[in-house]
Amino acid sequence: MLRVRCPAWWCIVADHRVSSDPAKSALAFESPVVCDNPASNGGGDLTLSDISSTVKWLVRAGAEGPAADLLDAQFGTSRAAAGGALVLGSRPGEWIVVGTASEVAAAVAGIDGLEEQEFCSALDWTHGRAMFRVTGASAPRMLEKVCGLDWSDHMTPDGAVVSASVALVTCDIARNDRDGVRSYLIFCDRSFGQYLFDALIDAGNEFGLSADATF
Amino acid sequence: MTMSRQGVQPNEVIDRSTKLRFRWNGKRFSGFEGDTIASALAASGEQIFSRSMKYHRPRGILTADYWDPNLMVQVGDDPNVRAGHRLLEGGMDVRSQNAWPSLNRDIKAANRFLGRFLTAGFYYKTFMRPQWLWPTYERVLATFAPGGKIDLDTPHAYHDKRYTHPDVVVAGAGPAGIEAALAASSAGASVLLVEHEHAVGGHLRYSSDAADQADLAELRAALEASDIEVLTNSTMTGRYEDNWLGIVQRNHPVAVERLIKARAKTLVVAPGLIERPYVFEGNDRPGVITSGAARRLVNLWGIKPGERAVVFSANAEGDAAAADLERVGTEIAAVIDGRAGGRISSTTGSSRAVEAVMVAGPNGAQRIEADVLVVAAGWTAPTSLLNMAGDRPVYDPAAARFFPSDPPSIVLATGGLAGDGDLDGLRRHGADTGRLAASRAAAVRHRLQARTARAAPVNGDEPAWAPDERPPLGRDPHPELYRADTHGMVDMSEDISSKDLVAAAHEGYDSVELAKRYTTATMGPSQGKLETVNTVAAIAEARGETISEVGTTVWRPPFAPITLGALAGRMFEPVRVSSIHPWHEANNVSVIQAGQWLRPDHYGDPQAEVRNVRRNVGLIDVTPLGKLDLRGPDVPKLLSLLYVNKWMKLGIGRVRYGMMCAEDGVVLDDGVTGRLGEDHYMMSTTSSGAGGVWEWVENWLQTERPDWQVHVTPVTTAYASINVAGPKSRELMSRVCEGVGLDAEAFPYMTVRDATVAGVTGCFMWRIGFTGELSFELHVPAGHGLHVWEALMEAGSDLGVGPFGLEGQRIMRLEKGHFIVGQDTDGLTLGPSTGMGSLIKLDKDDFAGKPELAWAADRSLPMVVAIQPDDPDVVPEEAAQIVRGDTNEILGRITSSRHSPTLNRSICLGQVEPDLAAGGTKLTVLLESGERISATVIDHHAHFDPAGERLRG
Repeated sequence: MLRVRCPAWWCIVADHRVSSDPAKSALAFESPVVCDNPASNGGGDLTLSDISSTVKWLVRAGAEGPAADLLDAQFGTSRAAAGGALVLGSRPGEWIVVGTASEVAAAVAGIDGLEEQEFCSALDWTHGRAMFRVTGASAPRMLEKVCGLDWSDHMTPDGAVVSASVALVTCDIARNDRDGVRSYLIFCDRSFGQYLFDALIDAGNEFGLSADATF
Repeated sequence: MTMSRQGVQPNEVIDRSTKLRFRWNGKRFSGFEGDTIASALAASGEQIFSRSMKYHRPRGILTADYWDPNLMVQVGDDPNVRAGHRLLEGGMDVRSQNAWPSLNRDIKAANRFLGRFLTAGFYYKTFMRPQWLWPTYERVLATFAPGGKIDLDTPHAYHDKRYTHPDVVVAGAGPAGIEAALAASSAGASVLLVEHEHAVGGHLRYSSDAADQADLAELRAALEASDIEVLTNSTMTGRYEDNWLGIVQRNHPVAVERLIKARAKTLVVAPGLIERPYVFEGNDRPGVITSGAARRLVNLWGIKPGERAVVFSANAEGDAAAADLERVGTEIAAVIDGRAGGRISSTTGSSRAVEAVMVAGPNGAQRIEADVLVVAAGWTAPTSLLNMAGDRPVYDPAAARFFPSDPPSIVLATGGLAGDGDLDGLRRHGADTGRLAASRAAAVRHRLQARTARAAPVNGDEPAWAPDERPPLGRDPHPELYRADTHGMVDMSEDISSKDLVAAAHEGYDSVELAKRYTTATMGPSQGKLETVNTVAAIAEARGETISEVGTTVWRPPFAPITLGALAGRMFEPVRVSSIHPWHEANNVSVIQAGQWLRPDHYGDPQAEVRNVRRNVGLIDVTPLGKLDLRGPDVPKLLSLLYVNKWMKLGIGRVRYGMMCAEDGVVLDDGVTGRLGEDHYMMSTTSSGAGGVWEWVENWLQTERPDWQVHVTPVTTAYASINVAGPKSRELMSRVCEGVGLDAEAFPYMTVRDATVAGVTGCFMWRIGFTGELSFELHVPAGHGLHVWEALMEAGSDLGVGPFGLEGQRIMRLEKGHFIVGQDTDGLTLGPSTGMGSLIKLDKDDFAGKPELAWAADRSLPMVVAIQPDDPDVVPEEAAQIVRGDTNEILGRITSSRHSPTLNRSICLGQVEPDLAAGGTKLTVLLESGERISATVIDHHAHFDPAGERLRG
């Protein structure tokens, strides 16, 4: 673990535990999801993808401070970092950074220099969180079946980040449109992954959902 | 009265080219697509559809719509179906309810001869005494319960749930409601329009007026061209705080029913008016119908309601009904004009049909032969949604109905509910209402966006709250027609007559709320839509007061009855599995659900699994063990605060057991915490306590010690956790681990090490063990958990490695005497009672529960002890009581018990009074069978290897 110490402030930056991209690891990353019926009831514009292998880091620091300035994603919003990672302001003083290992490393690299200014930490969360992407014009209607939030453009525009119950599982959700098409990233505790994947398939069936597991 | 199908009507909703065959009480019938069950039966000449609740009087069509109290039937295994609303489907098996042996010959109709005794409060008065007979009463009364039959074998249907957040929700798609929706949509609002009936249009649907039909066509076209979401055959069942709305959608293509929870920024209430029956003798005789029923039968389904009719009309709808009847060939024997003072008095005929109508006159009643009586006596304003919003509608005697008073500003009424007018006037008011609703919704939306972090940025200040400048609708005069000069049924769902209500008032139940509950008037399936105002009028008459003085009951949700299936919605039951679960499933696992986790209980023979661990080596998937990643310089202070023992000097690479107590000193959780780095710790919790402990830790940090630098992250399932236990565990681990010494000196008991296991980096493992065996607890990045498990199984095949489940683990921990929080402790068990009092360091500055534990230190407390039955073959049940000798004085209880395959005897943990805790104490255990057995407290908790030699390896 890379750790920098200063007399008054602590900054624990990187954990050695999972420092490589699982998708490129010699060992196959075992997804939490088994997709038994990859194109269940397909035919609509809606797709559900299991992208749990995406590298995910959790960064914590002050809600307003150097780390917050560096990550530059306020609570409830997200932004694409210069290196390609997506930075989600998931809670006040908490960010989820997703992408390939190199993209994520680039996004959080600057935190290494903040040790004298504030207490912050970052840990690799890749193995702890399942991650799905739902894409399609019907995606809001599908989410309405499993989550009580307002998915309108006013309340949840592209780039919005929110924490909510999805089919009774606590999730982080980020709207991340693809080529102008509605798209949402959904993160949950890995152990709920299969349950949630199945629940999303069930919710999407009436919209002609096609599901695929990338692993 | 014999109804019959007539020629094609201009606005009929049936498709005469599509014939649907169905069964009614076992006989074959047919109808057309677009028919309701009731219209199809009526067109076939059926007159009797049900029997009344108490007196089993034959009942025919009254309103021919959703609210008709006389049209409840059973369809297949679906009871209490509203035949006036449910559309006919081919192959339906429709049966009557509440009649035996048949609808036509119902033996229970004998009840009508007991009618004088079955007055309001009959059950309360009659079945109070003797109290001991109540079970018998209950059984007998249950056989008289009305309603259909529930088939317990019916498979669970797919009921769905949906949330939505429109700017404006409009309840009711009559002309005013449609206009409101269109205007709101034009103003930029997102709109949801909810209609109770199968199609939009309200009363225009069954109007025969060409101009009305042109208007309806225009409105429908505008709706289709709009972005408005229209839900037909859907009922808004309730309005709750802040416009939280419940809507049941009955025509969803996928689900049987869908419960929609809508959060509307503004709500437009436009349900129209519901025609009110008139109370007179014989008003429930088949052949008495409302004017709306007559118009629906004629215009929607092409049905002639009878051969010769008397029309009692006090409004234009009654006049139009007379015209409709004439058009289809019904002879109009008389039109009695209620506006001009004309009154009807009663009907005569058999119990099954009207034969004549008695019309009141200055020289006594005049008899007019007729087989159908059409009544247009006035309207009930269904103000339910306004009531639910806090409004208290006001009665206007000149218009003979209630009107909205002062609903919240985000709830707006329009249409007939708000007043009268011609069609243009109603449409204008609807449009004005829609614009106002959209304007106010925009202000609400602005406010919501401005205060929601994730929302789109808002421009400018919040829009001003638009004043209500709608020109009000008028109020047409209408005679107050509630009861004739005779008594009749007020509530046909519950068989409550005006006489019953008068009697209740005279008995002292003169408050409308009391009378309602005493008589059950308005409490049937119609939920007061037909009965409420007549009930109030009857009580007012009995009290000699006005309707305004009596007031109404408060309409509460649901607006219409709602099925339990719809309320339940989709069954979300989250379950959690570890990354190793696929292996368990492929290997004969018996799963146990522990909280939300699906865990291996055993793989066929838990006793054999124990023997294998004691002899060779076993693997158990312990992924659900809570794991909290703790980082920061203040972690030792946090641990010292939350655990009863000391933590300030835990060295890197060391692991320590800790017991956590709540502020009342009661044991909250326990587990080990390892120091992984300078400022990096991993706390483990019990599996069941993982969530609670995380909240506990965060609560302390966020509310009591916000200045401490600690970050806590739950990583329970970031790691697959595998306990490798048994005398050959070190050998097995040596075959898969790299970069770590495994001997007792390099890796002693209660230490933690990083490791590469089966090629997986980023693992850590600690030398602890719940089983009492030499153990290595591996924590592997979850995405490689299955790989490591399989590698261990393969590498240990010659060592006799095998899996073991929770049951085996529970046996072994009991052999070793480890208590389980929540199993061997309870909500009153203080820390010292666990036998681990020495762990509690009262010399620490402070920690959670310290004052209570300091108090407890000087007291004798119940103690957790290890117990062995003297007969080794008897395993007392968990929770068996420990009693004093032959008495029933309770001295403790068995908290855990199993047969130990290692010791070949029964073993237990239990809680006992302090004076029974010493080793060698004899106990008496009362078994569930009533047998008492003797048992002995042993010297220490461990039944097996008390010195811990195997554990330390």
